[in-house]
Amino acid sequence: MWNWATHPITWLSFLAMLIGAVVILLLTLVVVMYSIYWQRKLIGWMQLRIGPNRVGPFGLLQSAADVLKLLIKEDVIPTKSDRVLFLIAPIIAFVPAFMALSVIPFSRTHVFTANIAIGALFYVALSAITIHGVMLGGWASNNKYALIGSMRSAAQMLSYEIPLGLSIVGVVLMAGSINLNDIVNAQAHSGWWYIIPQILGFVVFMVASTAELNRTPFDLPEAESELVGGYHTEYTGFRFAFFMLTEYVYLFAMAGLFATLFLGGWSGPFLPGWLWFAIKAFLYISVQFWIQATMPRMRVDQLMTFSWKVLLPLALVNLVVTAVLKAVL
Amino acid sequence: MFGFMKGLGVTLRQLPKKKVTLMYPEQKPVWPERFRGVHRFIPDLCIVCNQCARVCPTDCISLSGTRGPDKKMRIDTYDINFDICILCSLCTDVCPTESILMSDTFELATYSRDNLYLDMHWLYENELAYEKNHPERFIKDAEGNNAAEKVGDAE
Repeated sequence: MWNWATHPITWLSFLAMLIGAVVILLLTLVVVMYSIYWQRKLIGWMQLRIGPNRVGPFGLLQSAADVLKLLIKEDVIPTKSDRVLFLIAPIIAFVPAFMALSVIPFSRTHVFTANIAIGALFYVALSAITIHGVMLGGWASNNKYALIGSMRSAAQMLSYEIPLGLSIVGVVLMAGSINLNDIVNAQAHSGWWYIIPQILGFVVFMVASTAELNRTPFDLPEAESELVGGYHTEYTGFRFAFFMLTEYVYLFAMAGLFATLFLGGWSGPFLPGWLWFAIKAFLYISVQFWIQATMPRMRVDQLMTFSWKVLLPLALVNLVVTAVLKAVL
Repeated sequence: MFGFMKGLGVTLRQLPKKKVTLMYPEQKPVWPERFRGVHRFIPDLCIVCNQCARVCPTDCISLSGTRGPDKKMRIDTYDINFDICILCSLCTDVCPTESILMSDTFELATYSRDNLYLDMHWLYENELAYEKNHPERFIKDAEGNNAAEKVGDAE
């Protein structure tokens, strides 16, 4: 029933897939809820504040309360917007972000560990689709600030997609496979995590993924001083929550990818695989929040220059060096 | 790159430090003596000179008084409209007898604007509460009554 990759699809295996998807969705929602909580707590602590502590013990239900508030808010749709696109844009943004999770190997033996032969490629391809939702949302709002915000978003995502992809290629070259499970296994067997031999690729990945997630210091699409709120200016209530959800699901997915590519995924001594994975993903997410508490926002022209003139050459150098070393050693 | 690391170090060092946040509604800071909160009013001192009402930039004070048998003016009504009061403290500055003063009450959130018309009795209650909360700010006479206010808000 669980081994759906090797057999033709049946109703039973379809049911299993459905259950798997629902379980992952619930897991993701919990992760998103508590990464928002953790973000507010961590940044609060760094700013000598306490952070949320009113709703539930230690404020643990704060995100749930926020979501409830968003759900009961009025859902405003601008009269002159492109209604259909406006309505489906958050969904178009969310679906790829969620689908990208399907290739992340959460643990060694877990039933939801997808074993797609083109894992890393699949991830990169899907994560690029999220930008369609953002673009459509910005365009359908019929608001010039939303449009500018979404255009910026698109330019940024496209620019940083390339160094990101190239930094992944370095890892793929080392592991000799594009299957994320094989990459984890290769790291487990070689005895070191790729963060050490691929340190340059790691740096590029870190910077490019931060930009890809629209997080500080690359959170230009939401530069409220220039653009009101960026592409989601016109969105309210539930639909806005969906964009937020997309952002944090994508953060989780990127954390999963990072853990898989550079920190050996679920592999590690003593602890069970899923716990190792959780620790590594948590580490990435925490570092993102740490950077957010530290850095100011970049200027938009510096942003593009940085991607094309610094990150891309670095990623290429990393790629060439990896390839040469791989051939020589 | 190096500066970036330095910045990260700075934020990380703040992490274990003592937090400055107060659990506000439960735990309140000590308001300074010259805090400009809602007024308190001492009707006995008022000579109905109307200066506070005249100096008020938002015209939120209205008062009326009558002349008593000893030819002295006695206050009858004294109202402050806290819809529009800006707590500028000009009324307390001009008051020759210091019958109108500022207190450290400030939580006036309410569901109806009508509740923001503060009359003489409310303001006097506020004065009594203030005296109770800050006994150290008053000079006591022999019987333990408040003889005068220590120099603070007054010149």
